[in-house]
Amino acid sequence: MSEIRSVIVAGSGPIAWIAAAGLLRAFHHRRLEVSVVDTGASRDARVGRWTLPSQRGMHALLGIAEPHFIQHTGATFKLASEHLGWQGEGSRFLHAHGEIGTDLGGTPFYKFLQNAALTGTAERPEAFSVAGSAARLGKFARPMGEGAALTASFTYGFHVADAPYAQYLRAHALRLGVREATASLGEVLLSEGGDIHALRLTDGTTLSADYYIDCSGPEARLLGKLAAAEREDWSSWLPCDRMWSALGPATNEPPPLTHTVAAPAGWFWRAPLAQASMTGLVYASAFQSDEAARAALAAVEPALRSEPTLTRFASGRRHKFWERNCVALGAAVVELEPLAGADLHLAQIGLATFIELFPLARGSAVEAVEYNRLMAEYADALRDFTLAHYRAGPQRPGEFWAATRAQPAPARLADKLALYAASGRINLLDHETFEETDWAWLLLGSGCKSDAIELQIKLRLGKLSSQEVNSLRTHVQQVAASMPRHIDFVRHQAALAARVAG
Amino acid sequence: MSSPLRIVIVGGGTAGWMTAAAFASVFGPAHRQIRLIESSEIGIVGVGEATLPHIRFFNRRIGIDERELMAKTQATFKLGIEFVDWARIGDSYIHPFGAYGSRIAGVPFHNHWLRQRAAGDNTAIEEYSLPIVASRMNRFALPAEDPTDVMSTFGYAFQFDASLYAAYLRGFAEARGVRRTDGKIVDVKLRAEDGWVESVKLENGEVVTGDLFIDASGFRGLLIEQALKTGYDEWTHWLPCDRAMAVPCENAGPLTPYTRATAREAGWQWRIPLQHRMGNGYVYGSNFISDDEAATKLLSRLDGKALATPRPLRFTAGRRRLTWNRNVVAIGLAGGFLEPLESTSIYLIQIAITTLIDYLTERNAGSPATFDPRVVAAFNRWIEMEYDRVRDFLILHYHATERDDAEIWNYCRNMRIPDSLAHKIELFRSRAGVVTYKDGLFLEPSWLAVYLGQRVMPRGYDSRVDSLDEVEARLQLTKVREKIKAALMRMSPHEEFLRQYCPAMPPPAMTGAPG
Repeated sequence: MSEIRSVIVAGSGPIAWIAAAGLLRAFHHRRLEVSVVDTGASRDARVGRWTLPSQRGMHALLGIAEPHFIQHTGATFKLASEHLGWQGEGSRFLHAHGEIGTDLGGTPFYKFLQNAALTGTAERPEAFSVAGSAARLGKFARPMGEGAALTASFTYGFHVADAPYAQYLRAHALRLGVREATASLGEVLLSEGGDIHALRLTDGTTLSADYYIDCSGPEARLLGKLAAAEREDWSSWLPCDRMWSALGPATNEPPPLTHTVAAPAGWFWRAPLAQASMTGLVYASAFQSDEAARAALAAVEPALRSEPTLTRFASGRRHKFWERNCVALGAAVVELEPLAGADLHLAQIGLATFIELFPLARGSAVEAVEYNRLMAEYADALRDFTLAHYRAGPQRPGEFWAATRAQPAPARLADKLALYAASGRINLLDHETFEETDWAWLLLGSGCKSDAIELQIKLRLGKLSSQEVNSLRTHVQQVAASMPRHIDFVRHQAALAARVAG
Repeated sequence: MSSPLRIVIVGGGTAGWMTAAAFASVFGPAHRQIRLIESSEIGIVGVGEATLPHIRFFNRRIGIDERELMAKTQATFKLGIEFVDWARIGDSYIHPFGAYGSRIAGVPFHNHWLRQRAAGDNTAIEEYSLPIVASRMNRFALPAEDPTDVMSTFGYAFQFDASLYAAYLRGFAEARGVRRTDGKIVDVKLRAEDGWVESVKLENGEVVTGDLFIDASGFRGLLIEQALKTGYDEWTHWLPCDRAMAVPCENAGPLTPYTRATAREAGWQWRIPLQHRMGNGYVYGSNFISDDEAATKLLSRLDGKALATPRPLRFTAGRRRLTWNRNVVAIGLAGGFLEPLESTSIYLIQIAITTLIDYLTERNAGSPATFDPRVVAAFNRWIEMEYDRVRDFLILHYHATERDDAEIWNYCRNMRIPDSLAHKIELFRSRAGVVTYKDGLFLEPSWLAVYLGQRVMPRGYDSRVDSLDEVEARLQLTKVREKIKAALMRMSPHEEFLRQYCPAMPPPAMTGAPG
């Protein structure tokens, strides 16, 4: 048993560099050596992604200043996702990163909307959400103040292209002291005991460390050598397994908003960048050929700025996220369509959990048991939230859409949706990324019906006057309207960073 | 609006009257009509003289004036539970209602303590807990609101006479329209079409119908088991105590602001100080000691003169398979039994009541009362989770012992424990990691107190603490101790505080209510 002094991260994308920089920062005091070995630019590389608000915290932890990040990556802000057509032609709903209304003395405001929907006077949640209203108006500002202030009632994520983001994170990690191997990964060498002993690189040299972080994507080139490939397959619930994605043209007024649009065999998406946009089609190869999908993307977005790349994935997760001296992050352990924008988030939860459970010595096993237990819960919760987009509200016609509901939902999601349908109640399990409000956005927005509402809530709502509701709506609209245009805010951030640098 | 829900509560102990009081308070008369049937011939078990801080949420929610409650139930304050002789004879630790220190550099406090310990500092972790230090000094004050004040780092609960508590709640509930009937139930009628309870018949011939029946009838489970045959999961292989002897005695010495649980040759003994007397009991396994011997042992180990003869109780650790079955919800002992080692009895009653209140849905005008099976299933899952988590925590006390002087301890030390618990212990033993969860009772400080108190000593700790300079870390720890010492000066002797805050009425007729 000896202390862990070195870690090798294998991978090339944003997750690899975040992991390397994060580990270095966390164990700076013990001079942990962190190196990154490139696993070769994946042919499958997607154009980019949208993130959850947790990316802000990760940047802060790594010492990344946000204006600098915006300036160098061309990223934009994200207040919400808008989902079009998921419940049939003409349907649309918003999921914003913010509160719906304000707390009514222990009762969340969305309960008011739920109750209104029961009596047939449904209103959209965004009318009572600063983040939602601003997203619709194309406006953005950072949250301000604290507590119950409406200006503090939201948060945000980012839209960012992968290549510049990985490059940016790489530069940052190298500045912090992460080392980069001179050649890329050739072969994984195991010790007699079965641990990873070293990595042989393509230039013939070998590199070894006490621990290995596998960020090599679906191939799981390290973990795959150690753990039986036992996986939980989610494809019967989530049949999408491919994505074409590319850069698209810039728009005049980029919204702080990710759009998804239901398609015959999957869904289109579009997300703004400062000087361009990103677009893609996520689809099920069982229902649409790659060629047809590519043509469909070109038809929707005729002025593509880059050659579309094809990403393949198989929805599911491994049973083991950590085996012996190897921990895997990202698609090496969990593959899921990018709908919820949570893949970086999940990798970061994995990283933070690994740091918290950082083994005191090589060969200790209890940490892996705990890690695998926790990460399985996080991953399953994420699957449920993604899947709920397909299963909530009216069903969109079409063969593909019928297939997404053909199987009974996983028990934990079925329970959640059943309780909601019966009583409007949203129950969360232990390790869920998305909170009650997120579920409220999704379930209310998608037109998920509940047969009744909790009696005690109903009684409390009775005390809420229509005057109070109207005043809240007005106030929310005022706050949102007072924000700057999103594009102006982005430009201002970049200019600010340039001035600081100058 | 729908017609009021007709709720029939069977049994008038703590569980019955807590349910009546809560429903009467949360729902107005337009929404419910509550009847409680109890028989003055059937004694109540009067479970739970010692409570947990959660009871204060319950009180607040239903609008109980705590000061008045304390005065009327001979109550004292409770800052934690002292465990004596559990890991080894001669040991004593307190499970406090509050935290040890607070996170430093993002790492849970106990890791910093372990680091100093490894460096030769022998300061007990107790010194970093205000409720423990105050308990040891018999001092009390109400906690502060300001989160930066060390006086905000604890909570409190009550030790009270459960019979007086039930009586108090009865007054509260009756004032809000709950109708009490004194009578014995002789028959339960089930609806032919679906097996729901339609009515209960009293000895005097009266038939009481209802929509929702609360079975608060105690261990026998008059409705949930005798009528509905719901079934019971036994946990005696993990929690082998199945009997208790209870006896009150005179107070002697200062009133402690904590409950004591002392490990004995065949179980453990409780000691709960009230204003007018001391509650005592011996919880034991009938496999390990006879009833007579248990009674004799109990009487020989009291602080003061016994005020009654020991009263025997029998129980089986476990949980009813369904807490809510058809239109019957089992609350209290009818729903399950976990020995009162961690004062969880009233908590488990409370959580069943508040969860039921939270989950009940409105009904459409004119439609008959039905309970959506999806809601019932979710309710049952929740209660199961609560029971299971408490169960694991209790097993820890028995299992993590070094005692080999009695058969019960040899059995418990060597028994196979639930995998979930074995994993928790191993994570703590190897690296001071505490498995935490979002819902359910007992948070990190509770697990920590019991691990350390039961001598589960970690071999290592979270190495992130080393990012903090050692001298700086020591300074921070010293500061916590100093703040606690200073805070102690702002607290009063427990008895003095009680005298001015909630002096009890003259002692009522004696009731020997076990914990």
